[in-house]
Amino acid sequence: MSHVSYAMILAGGLGSRLCLLSEKRAKPAVPFGGKYRIIDFTLSNCVNSGIFDIGILTQYRPLSLRDHIGLGRAWDLDRKRGGVELLQPFQGWAESDWYRGTADAIWQNWDRVVERKAEHLLVLSGDHVYRMDYRPMIEAHLQRGADATVAITEVPLDQASQFGVVKTDAAGWITGFLEKPKNPPSGKISMGVYVFRTAALREEMELDAMRATAHDFGKNIVPSLVERGRVLAFPAYGYWQDIGTLDSFYRANLDLVTPEPPFPLQDVRWPIFTPSTEYPPARLGTRAHVRSSIVTHGTIVNGTVERSVLFPGVVVEEGAVVRDSIIMGESWIGPRAELDRCILDKRVHVGRAAKIGVGESLRPNRACPEHLSAGLTIVGKASRVPEGLVIGRNVRVAPDMVEEDFPAGEVECGEVLEREGESAHAGSGS
Amino acid sequence: MNPPILVLVLAGGKSERLHALGRVRTSSALPFGGKYRVIDFTLSNCAHSGLFRVGILTQYAPLSLQGHIGIGKPWDLDRRDGGVRLLPPYVRQRETNWYRGTADALIQNRNVIEDAQARHILVLSGDLIYKMDYGRLVERHESAGAALTIVTTAAPGSEADRYGYVATDGDGRVEALEEKPSSPAGETISAGVYLFRARDLQTWLEKPGLGPDLVKDIVQPMIRKGDRVVAYEHADYWRDVGTIDAYYEANMELLRPVPTLTLHDPDWLIYTPSEDRAPAVVTGDGDVSGSLVAHGAHVEGTVHRSILFPGVHIAPGALVEDSIVMHDARILSGARLSKAIVDKGVRIGERALVGTGESTPNREFPRDLSSGLCVIGKGSEIPAGGSIGRNTLVEIGVREVDLASGAVPSGVVVRGRAAAR
Repeated sequence: MSHVSYAMILAGGLGSRLCLLSEKRAKPAVPFGGKYRIIDFTLSNCVNSGIFDIGILTQYRPLSLRDHIGLGRAWDLDRKRGGVELLQPFQGWAESDWYRGTADAIWQNWDRVVERKAEHLLVLSGDHVYRMDYRPMIEAHLQRGADATVAITEVPLDQASQFGVVKTDAAGWITGFLEKPKNPPSGKISMGVYVFRTAALREEMELDAMRATAHDFGKNIVPSLVERGRVLAFPAYGYWQDIGTLDSFYRANLDLVTPEPPFPLQDVRWPIFTPSTEYPPARLGTRAHVRSSIVTHGTIVNGTVERSVLFPGVVVEEGAVVRDSIIMGESWIGPRAELDRCILDKRVHVGRAAKIGVGESLRPNRACPEHLSAGLTIVGKASRVPEGLVIGRNVRVAPDMVEEDFPAGEVECGEVLEREGESAHAGSGS
Repeated sequence: MNPPILVLVLAGGKSERLHALGRVRTSSALPFGGKYRVIDFTLSNCAHSGLFRVGILTQYAPLSLQGHIGIGKPWDLDRRDGGVRLLPPYVRQRETNWYRGTADALIQNRNVIEDAQARHILVLSGDLIYKMDYGRLVERHESAGAALTIVTTAAPGSEADRYGYVATDGDGRVEALEEKPSSPAGETISAGVYLFRARDLQTWLEKPGLGPDLVKDIVQPMIRKGDRVVAYEHADYWRDVGTIDAYYEANMELLRPVPTLTLHDPDWLIYTPSEDRAPAVVTGDGDVSGSLVAHGAHVEGTVHRSILFPGVHIAPGALVEDSIVMHDARILSGARLSKAIVDKGVRIGERALVGTGESTPNREFPRDLSSGLCVIGKGSEIPAGGSIGRNTLVEIGVREVDLASGAVPSGVVVRGRAAAR
C-alpha cells in the first residue's frame, strides 16, 4: 500500500504557443487523438496507478475543462472519499489573488494537502501525453528517503532547451536543475512529474512565498530544493510528449496513425479514459477511402482521408480529400474540398471545393512566425470557409469567421485572417 | 403534467431461430449496428418520450442484458423516483414458477404494477428495432378513451407466420388480431407495442385461471369481449430481428447510402453504454468502405460493406465483405469473410475462408440458413487455412481441434466436443 494517495495536477496554463487552439480553452483541455483531451492522459495515469484523490488547479479559461471533467465519472472519480476537485483561485477574508505561478497555485490550496495529512504529495502537469505507472516512482522516492523525486526522460539535445534539464550523480541524485537553459548540457529533462515529501515542499514554499520569484515549480521550487535537499531522479522510459507547441501537437497526433504507433491507444492494460460522446459508430460510405487514419464515433466519410485524425461528428463529403490533417469535432468538409496539413478546430465549415493548405511557399505566418512556419494551416473554432476559396500554408484563420469576412481570391501563405476591427492577439506569441 | 405511465419491457425470450446468436443471450441483448444492443432502441424511445419508469422482465440468459442495463445511466434511468428495475422471476413462499409466458410474467409482477399507481401500462418488446414517440401514442390512447391501444405497422417481410395480423374497422377500432395466420388478410401487423389503461389490465390480471400468453389470453379476449381496443399506426421503420436473415438484413440496411434507419439523427440518438475504447484506427494498407466501424476497431486489411463492433482486429491482407463482426473478434492475416456473422471473441485463423463455395441450404435448419449466410458462434476458433462453407453454422466455443479436417462444406452444423458432452 502506497503512502502517496493525493495528486495535484497543474492545469492552469495559458499555452500561448498552441496559438488558436488554446485561445478559448486551457491547454489541458485541448482535444487530442480523436476523442481525448490532453489532460485525459494524466488523469488516466492516476487512476491506473491507483490514485483516486485528485485536485486540478485551474486558472486560465477553465470552462471547457470543467465541462470535460464533470463529476469525474469517466475516470471513476465520482467518489465519496477522494475523487476529483477543480481548484480555482478564490477570494479569501484576508488575502485574495489570482495564482501567481504553479507553486503559488498549490500554496493557495495548501489546506487541501493539510486536511489529508499527506506525508507525500504527487504533483503533475496536465499538458503532457504519456503513459506512466507512478507507483514504481513513488516506491523509489520512499525507499531512498528523498525530499523530492523528479521523473526524467531523454530528448534530443537540440530540444532540451525547452525543458528543465537535469544533472545527476552516479547514485541518481540530482545535482543541478536548469530550467530552459540556452546551452543544455544533456538531453535529460524533467517530465513535470514530481513526488514531494510534504514537509520539505512546505518549507520550500514558505521561503518561496516571501521571495519575489515567478512562484513556478520548474523555475524556482525544484532548483532551490536541489540546492538545499535530496532530490532523486527517476528515469521513466516510454513515450512522452509535451504538447507545448503547435508543431508538437501536430506531430503527437500524427504519431498515432503511423504503422507502428509509439503510443498504442488500444492497449487494454492501460486504458485512457474520457467521457464518451453519444454518437453512432463511424460511417464510411461506399466511395470512401480511409487510409492510415483515426476515425471516431459519429464521423461520416464519403471522400478520401489519409494520415489524418477525425474527431467525433466530422463529416467529409463526397470527392473531398483530407491529407495529413487534424479535424476536430463536428467540422464539415464540403464536397470536393481539399485539405493538406491543416488543423481545424471544432465546428469549422469548409465550403465545397475550397482548398486549404495550398502552395510551395513556406513564408512563416505574419503574426506568429515562431509557431506557424512548418507549413501547417490552422482554422479557428466555428469559422466558415467560403466555397472555392484557396488558402495557402502557414495561414491562421481566426475563430467565428463567416463567409463574408474572407477576402475574395486566393489567400497567400503566411497570411492572418480575422474579422475586421479585430486584431485578436497579433504578436502575443510568448 | 403527463399521465403517469409504467413501462414494462418483455426481454426474457429465447429465440430458437437465432441459433448460436440467440443461445448465449436473450434476443433483446443481441449486438446491433456496431455498438448497440437491440433493446437500446426501445429504451431510447422511452428516454426520448419522457418515460422514466421502466421495468424489464427477464428470464432467459439475462446476464448479458443485466450487465448492459446496469443502473440505466445511458438512458437517464438512474433516478430517485422511478428509473429502471430488472424483474426476473423469483422464489415465493407459495407457488414458485418461472414465467410461463408473457401474461404470466405480468401476473407475477402484479405488485409492481399496483405499486406504480400508473394510469396506463405500456407493454413493449425488447427485441424490436424502431423509433417511436410514445407520448403521441398516449395522447391518442387517452383521446380515444381506449382500454387498449395496439400499435400497428406494415409487415416488413413475407414470413406471415412470425407476425400477428390486425384487422380494423373504418374508425380504427380493432376487430381482430390473428397470430401467425396461414393466409393473412392485409399487411397490417401488431408492432409489439401495447398500451393498456391500467385498471383494465389489472382487472384481467386478477382473473383466476388466466392463461399465460399476453396476446392469446388478454388481448384477443378483450377484442372479442368488445372492450374498446383501438389501433395506432406506426408508419416508419420497424424491424423484428428474430431470425438470422432478418437480423442480418436489418444490420445491412444501415449501410445503404440513404439508410432506412438513421443512427445519426441528433434529435433522436440511440443511447447505449459506451465502452472505454480508443477511437477506430486504420493503419498500413488498411482500407474501409461502405461500413460502420466502432471504437477500438483496428483495420489493417480490407473491409467492404460490413459492420465492425468494438475491439475488432482485421489483420493485414484479410478481406471482410458483407459481414457482421462482433466485439473483439480477430480476423488474422489473409483470412477472407463473405456474408458471415461472427460473434464476440471469435478467432479466424490465417488464410481461413469463411463463407465460401456453393450455397446448399443447411441440412438441419434449412428454414433459417439458406440465403448463403454463415454464422460463427461466440468464442469459436477457425484454424489457419480452414474453410467454412455458406449456410454453415459453427456453434459456440468450437475449438480448432474440433475442426481438425479444416474444410467444412456448405450447409453443415459444427458442434464443439465440449457442447456435445
